[in-house]
Amino acid sequence: MAYYSQIAINIMVLITLGVSLNLLLGLIGRVSMAQSILFGIGAFTAARLALPHRTPEMADNVSGIGYGLNWPWYVAIAGAIVVTFIAALIISIPAVRIIRGEYLILLTLAFQLGGQQTMVVAKTATGGAYGVAGIPPITIGEIDFSGYTDLGTFHIAIVMFIVTLLVILIAFGIANSPFGRILKTLREQDSVVSSVGKNPVTPELLAFGIAAAIAGGIGAIFALSQGAIIPGNFNLDLSILIISVVVLGGTGNLLGTVIGAIFLGALEPILRSALGDSAIPWRAVIYGSALILMTYLRPQGILPEGAKLKLRRKSRQESIPVTQAEAIARLCRTKELAGFNSDEVLELRDLKKSFGGLTAVNGASFKIPRGKITALIGPNGAGKTTIFNMITGTLKPDSGQVYLRDKEITLLGAVKIAQSGIARSFQDVRLCERLTALENVMVAVPNQLGENLLNLVFKPRACRRREKEVRARAFECLAVLGVADKAFELISDLSYGDQKLVAIARLLATDCEVLLLDEPTSGVDPSNVEGVMQGVMKLRDIGCTVCLIEHSVYFVEKLADRAVFLDQGVVLAEGSVESLMNNKELSELYFGG
Amino acid sequence: MNFDLVAQLAISGLVIGSLYALLGVSFGLVYQTSKIFHLAGAIPFAAAGYAAVWAAKSLQLSIWLSIFIGLAAAVIIGVLILVLGYFPLIKKKATLLSLFLISLGLSVAFPNLLQIVFGVDNLPLEVYDAEGNPAVPFANPTYASGFLTITKLNIVQVVSSWLLVIAVLYTIKKTALGRSITALRTNPAMASAVGINNKVVYLVVFSVSSFLMGVAGILITLQFVANPTMGLQWTLIGFIAVFFGGITSLGGSALGGLILGLLSSLSGIWLGSQYAPIVTFAILFLTLLIRPQGLFGKEAI
Repeated sequence: MAYYSQIAINIMVLITLGVSLNLLLGLIGRVSMAQSILFGIGAFTAARLALPHRTPEMADNVSGIGYGLNWPWYVAIAGAIVVTFIAALIISIPAVRIIRGEYLILLTLAFQLGGQQTMVVAKTATGGAYGVAGIPPITIGEIDFSGYTDLGTFHIAIVMFIVTLLVILIAFGIANSPFGRILKTLREQDSVVSSVGKNPVTPELLAFGIAAAIAGGIGAIFALSQGAIIPGNFNLDLSILIISVVVLGGTGNLLGTVIGAIFLGALEPILRSALGDSAIPWRAVIYGSALILMTYLRPQGILPEGAKLKLRRKSRQESIPVTQAEAIARLCRTKELAGFNSDEVLELRDLKKSFGGLTAVNGASFKIPRGKITALIGPNGAGKTTIFNMITGTLKPDSGQVYLRDKEITLLGAVKIAQSGIARSFQDVRLCERLTALENVMVAVPNQLGENLLNLVFKPRACRRREKEVRARAFECLAVLGVADKAFELISDLSYGDQKLVAIARLLATDCEVLLLDEPTSGVDPSNVEGVMQGVMKLRDIGCTVCLIEHSVYFVEKLADRAVFLDQGVVLAEGSVESLMNNKELSELYFGG
Repeated sequence: MNFDLVAQLAISGLVIGSLYALLGVSFGLVYQTSKIFHLAGAIPFAAAGYAAVWAAKSLQLSIWLSIFIGLAAAVIIGVLILVLGYFPLIKKKATLLSLFLISLGLSVAFPNLLQIVFGVDNLPLEVYDAEGNPAVPFANPTYASGFLTITKLNIVQVVSSWLLVIAVLYTIKKTALGRSITALRTNPAMASAVGINNKVVYLVVFSVSSFLMGVAGILITLQFVANPTMGLQWTLIGFIAVFFGGITSLGGSALGGLILGLLSSLSGIWLGSQYAPIVTFAILFLTLLIRPQGLFGKEAI
């Protein structure tokens, strides 16, 4: 019986480690090659915390270490969780702060291999290659939790079962919380998170910390149940096995991870009974090949993230809660905004920017009036998008200032600028394809309690209440743009015109007063241009100040109240659209006469 | 401070650093052209070592023929990885992450296959002399005084590494092929618009890179042994050299490798040699924290 219990324990360890990695690979799309060593750090930390004090008769043991701090098992587990959490924060700081993707692969890979070596070298901490032995088991009352007896192993399996459920529950909660929504947005469009005024760094760091803490906690239980551990337990192959489990099951799908772990976890005992000791390399060959085949044939895994979504979409064919007219009435802010005395919302003073030898913007100054649609026009290379980038803080101007009302916002940084009331859309829509239209808009709604993990834990009810409001608000924004009926569609299933409208709805959801639209109709097929135009007009109707870059003259004439004509980084003219269009020089410049 | 010790560490740092430079250029070439995190570069490395050992031991070939077979194996397997592994996915416009997963799958399957076929044992690269006794070639010391020993192999390692590094750098700068590689790296869409064939450039880049990996694999097998996990440990250093030196500059990767080798070896003055991998990791960590574009990298990221 101990044999089967042990197999079950191994599979559940693999499930939990897979779930921990899925928080990274599935939610943020980041690979960690260090899950195995973090698991090991948890194991060694717990072991050394739980082992009894050194006694005089304990000789310098050649075969590993057998003494420690004599703390109770639960404190040891907590200690392991804290240590791995901190370790993960430290390694991921350079990775999330400035750099992405392959830097993280390299960093975690180096941490894994460097860590393995450290465990062997740091003999006073880990006992070197022989590891640590005599770790006391978990004790609850009189129940036997020793890994050396049949009954004890069975009890450990039960404990692991409960822990596994708990870990899955935590991961599920994170994935479906506002916090998880930010992570999913980071996965697909990392520039969007800061553009809607949210800090992208903390959620990512926390996700790394939590993924590591889970691995560390499981490592602690592993150590306490095995009684003895060696550094060899925590090698790179285990890290790759964990990645295979997640990829095989389907990234972003927790049930898939469970299936993947059962499949690969059950493989070892089966191979062992057939092949004896060469089972280990054979298993590695099999999961390596499975990883390759899966990436070719079914990159979404056994259970794709959408599998869950489709079921839900069918069952939730709820009616649209608001009509367009109601939504416009609810979001209308013209009255509140009339309270401000100034008519100029945004002012640019002598902005300059050059890239190397190329001057993109050379002293642009203009003002954007409240509640109107202002178009920035001019030939390609006039510096229009560069100006947007400088207003929103994604580019630092070489000189000059940007004022929002009377407050200077020039050097505030993207997140702060969006929070103070300026949001932008992008030429390419930058929506998250694997999320629904509603979720894409919900990300942008400000002040969400559930984006803070502490609130999720300590104020779950308030979070749920706020989530309902956020949902209602996102619905209203979609309704204003006339795409509320698409709320539950995945973005990848929408036409490009509808995607543009959803992107504008997301902009509206930020509650920002000034909305910058970068070529709202580019790439939209002609039959949908009208819809986008209607949408932009609705923004003005509810009191937003709109500034847009647009090449379509028809669109500008029909829509814009004012236009600013730029060429080679300077403002050539500004005024009513009509007056600019009638100016021969300008139209020659524009149409390349 | 013991002068002999420092000199010996500097020399072994130079040797190791030269090999790191070779690995760095090999990985940097692939990474700059394709942006693939080519973890499977470890495969041609190990394949070269094993093929050479096999040729010398089972076929009883001379050292030069064994080396030739090792290098041929490296290039063939490197190109196979590209053609069978990466090309189908690149055609499907797959993400870099899935290309990496292919690479990862290969780099866990291959060493374990080696273990199944050749066993876990360490295999030295030995050739048989006239009397049929095995001997490691290039092992006889050419200079020895007190602590200090420089073997013939050390000289071969340093000279061949730098000759290859310089040859690759020169080719990239001065020849049409090199310009195609640069074009593809800086602007893939434009490169294909002006008629540069991506596939051919990729094939050339992967052959050259696998060849360099193969050379490094053989030079390291000559000094140590071939074992199933040899690839990843060493090629990881190649990656680190690239990011340490600067991903935008191949010459930077080579110098990064050299400096990395010297630093990790000279750290032996204060720490034991078993700490070298930890020192290497610490250097990587600090680089990414303080100067993420790398020592010789140009633009900020």
